[in-house]
Amino acid sequence: MGKGYMGKVLFVDLSKGELKEETIPDEVYQKYIGGMGLAAYLLYNKIPANADPLGPDNIIGFLPGLLTGTGSFFTGRWMVAAKSPLTGSWGDANCGGSLSPAIKRCGYDGIFFSGISKKPVYLYIDHHTKELRDASEYWGKDAVEAEEMLIAASGSKKTRVACIGEAGEKLSLISGVSTDKGRMAGRSGIGAVMGSKKLKAIVLNGKKRIQVHDKAEMKHLSKLANKFVKFQVPLPNLMPGMAGILMRALPNAMAQDGMLYKMMLRKWGTVSMNQLSPEMGDSPIKNWMGSSKDWGFSKSYSTHPGKILKREKVKYHCYSCPLGCGGICSMKGKYKETHKPEYETVLALGGLCMNKDADSIFYLNEILNRAGMDTISAGAAAAFAIECYENGILTKKDTDGLELKWGNSKAITQLIEKMIKREGIGDLLADGVKKAAEKIGKGAEQYAIHAGGQELPMHDARNDPGFALHYTAEPTPGRHTLGAGLYYEMFQLWKVAKKLPKVLPLYMKGAKYKTDNEKAVMGATNSKFMSVVNSAGGCKFGMFIGAKRVRLFDWLNAATGWNKTPEEYLAMGENIQTIKQSFNVKHGIEPKNITVSDRVLGKPFQTEGANKGRTVDLEPVRSAYWSEFGWNPETGKPTPERMAEFTNP
Amino acid sequence: MAYSIIDECIGCGACRTLCPAGAITGEKEQVHVINKEFCIECGTCGRICANEAVEDGFGILCQRVKRKDWKKPVFNAGLCASCRTCVDTCPVGCISLSSSIVKKDPREYPFLEDPKACVSCGFCEADCPVDAITLEILSKETQAAA
Repeated sequence: MGKGYMGKVLFVDLSKGELKEETIPDEVYQKYIGGMGLAAYLLYNKIPANADPLGPDNIIGFLPGLLTGTGSFFTGRWMVAAKSPLTGSWGDANCGGSLSPAIKRCGYDGIFFSGISKKPVYLYIDHHTKELRDASEYWGKDAVEAEEMLIAASGSKKTRVACIGEAGEKLSLISGVSTDKGRMAGRSGIGAVMGSKKLKAIVLNGKKRIQVHDKAEMKHLSKLANKFVKFQVPLPNLMPGMAGILMRALPNAMAQDGMLYKMMLRKWGTVSMNQLSPEMGDSPIKNWMGSSKDWGFSKSYSTHPGKILKREKVKYHCYSCPLGCGGICSMKGKYKETHKPEYETVLALGGLCMNKDADSIFYLNEILNRAGMDTISAGAAAAFAIECYENGILTKKDTDGLELKWGNSKAITQLIEKMIKREGIGDLLADGVKKAAEKIGKGAEQYAIHAGGQELPMHDARNDPGFALHYTAEPTPGRHTLGAGLYYEMFQLWKVAKKLPKVLPLYMKGAKYKTDNEKAVMGATNSKFMSVVNSAGGCKFGMFIGAKRVRLFDWLNAATGWNKTPEEYLAMGENIQTIKQSFNVKHGIEPKNITVSDRVLGKPFQTEGANKGRTVDLEPVRSAYWSEFGWNPETGKPTPERMAEFTNP
Repeated sequence: MAYSIIDECIGCGACRTLCPAGAITGEKEQVHVINKEFCIECGTCGRICANEAVEDGFGILCQRVKRKDWKKPVFNAGLCASCRTCVDTCPVGCISLSSSIVKKDPREYPFLEDPKACVSCGFCEADCPVDAITLEILSKETQAAA
């Protein structure tokens, strides 16, 4: 009888070309679960203080979740973690596809790389072999080409690949790791860490079985979850946009039940938000200075969910996902198909740059995926450059003749192509907005919208102040995937952990902006829960369905036989969160210095649009949030005694 | 627990040829050996052995099953969640996905693409989170149609 995990990790020293297995004691899983938690424990202890993120001392790890391959649903995601070259802090990026179980089938709960190889290599593992192989013929290939070639060379269609494209090879600090022909672990600039190590890919084709404690219970819980996933009512294509208008107009808000969002995801995917979010004020427009007035229904119409769906050839499910929010879309031109662009991509390359040309968004989505460059950061860098150009900080001479005006889709496309190739101004922007602003000077910093160096995603803190908290208070800055007020409503954790604060079914919108301790409790709960989710290999969208319907904690108990309470799991989440913050402190990060531009907080407040008059008072909530973890409320640092606890399992 | 081969083995090599994990070694007409590190407990060796010379992990002698009577997966698309678990767990890669299984449904569902390659291990049935797979003896016509 198993416990869901494999009990071993693989360490690869690329400088020496050595592969070494390490057994992980049960106590480590009991404390850190697996996935992100296991990465946090190992990287905190193994990466020396102040290591150069692009040097030999940085360690990059690929990890499945504890629940991956156990018969649970929504648990097929993998995590890639390292010290981020973009932020200098804890870095990770999360992705679905079908790589996660492949890591476990090779017998490992994580594969870690240190050192730097002299020549390009890839790691190959099958049921009998594990070795570093020469990657010279794949270096220079885009991520899709390289993946297809590596699968063909392996001789098995069951081979799974994670690799970098041109952006990672060229050490772009906004590059990621690709799998399944363009699904991206995009954030934290992790692709550059692979590039710096001359590691092109990991290629996996193991056959190990994944054993659990109580298989019947795993299935029972999966069938329960599937009932909710399959429940669907007909939704018209204009519904999300209309709902957005209604949500903007009403003075009050209803606590969101994730079932509605689930139905939208199942029908359209994340693009269901393409009109809803701009209308309700969730989407940042025109590099965060615009509003719903600047990106009205007619402008967002070219990317409305029904139009995107017309291009979808087939739905795409990640491994162990019954929902299937992804899709494969057809395209005209050089590339015939692309993964359906996510909402984040559509808005970053669309509304943020005032670009309403859907064809250009599809094209950019594909070339960015192939290059292995983060679409959010690429869009943010383009929007930053446009605002610099519009304000005379960049001139035509600087842009190699590009007319970088809002909504000039041709110029935006050419700019991003330059970023991928690191040509001219593209070279400047390929390391993200913070570094670009530092190099440009002349006051360009005011247009660089980021948290700790990480470009902000497409969720406006002036609409949901919870985002501002998570953008700035987390050990991984600038993320929309860890928490927000809305997430707390949808997770419905108070239904399984009774002491947690409940959400009123109907409340006045103004209540979102009031500073109170409950918001810190809710934010900290989101972070703790997402730490558990990311350690289990879980998908946030599945968790949105609600804790009583998609029972992550019960799955964990059935897989491991641990019999822990939800409160105990949240305490493990607190541990994982604290070790990541300790990682940052060890590497000289001052958490209090991670801030966002005043623009993001509504200072000064907007005079029109959905977020008119809204200002976010961040500091008091952030201090209270840090206190929830026992960290210093002023500095955000855990005590040295607490940090010392993590050196042993 | 890994399977093992007992002294009754006549070294015909059938198990070695079929083992999806490449875990069996042995010379012709010599007793073969299963490498415990590589065995995935699919039971193929036990099913194919004409001499019934294979024991499972509990030391129970495996019974030979004629290949035409090997049970293979049948998929219930109505129950299926399109989650790819069966595709991933299949050790021989005989299951694929197709979008043409349920008409007017944009999702892909699994089907037995290569019935001849299927070793009747039952991993797909055992691992399917929603019990949408049953194992049945397929008629020649069904196998040919697949």
